[in-house]
Amino acid sequence: MGATKLSGMQKQVLSLYRGFLRAARSKTTEDRRRIEMIVSTEFHKNSKEVDRKNFQYIEYLLRLGTKQLDQLKNPDMVSISSIKVVTSKT
Amino acid sequence: MASLSTTSLSFKAPSIQSTRISQVLRKASSFQSISFGRFHSSKSLRLQISCAAKPETVQKVSDIVKEQLALSADTALTAESKFSALGADSLDTVEIVMALEEKFNISVEESDAQNITTIQEAADLIEDLVQKKPATSEAS
Repeated sequence: MGATKLSGMQKQVLSLYRGFLRAARSKTTEDRRRIEMIVSTEFHKNSKEVDRKNFQYIEYLLRLGTKQLDQLKNPDMVSISSIKVVTSKT
Repeated sequence: MASLSTTSLSFKAPSIQSTRISQVLRKASSFQSISFGRFHSSKSLRLQISCAAKPETVQKVSDIVKEQLALSADTALTAESKFSALGADSLDTVEIVMALEEKFNISVEESDAQNITTIQEAADLIEDLVQKKPATSEAS
């Protein structure tokens, strides 16, 4: 009741998010805090900015995220960052 | 009920009888409604029993939810509070479930995590998992 059914893609995104938060647990407290901040900001930002019908782009982001998560799982990896290239529409 | 009244007409029952039948029918219908009411109340009672998570668990869950959603300490939360009503989206819900996992030292299945929408549901699931946990650790 009230709980809206999630699409397969939404589930994938949430699963990826969970994966990131899980991977962050294995880092030191300080790194963890930072990783969680970055990941949370990134996911929330994309959830607002990306058109939910833009499946191709979401799939691309999912692939990108999965790759970054794999790298983050490496014990030597301490943080992640993302650079956004903004192209103006002119 | 419609078929019953047709039968009484074919028997050419006197008007008194037909009124009696209709009375009986009315009685029957009112009885039905009473039994319906009873059924409803017993259903909710059963639900309450199966959902009786300990108040401490509900309190712990509410505290974590408040912390995760950055709600002020005096925000009134009840067990029926919906995460979405508190301004949480599905990403926040994931965060809440992850925080609960750590707090209670449990692991929530992904499929279960997505069905949690209220504090009560979270508390029930936690109690369920905490109870199951000793058994699984013994087995492993």
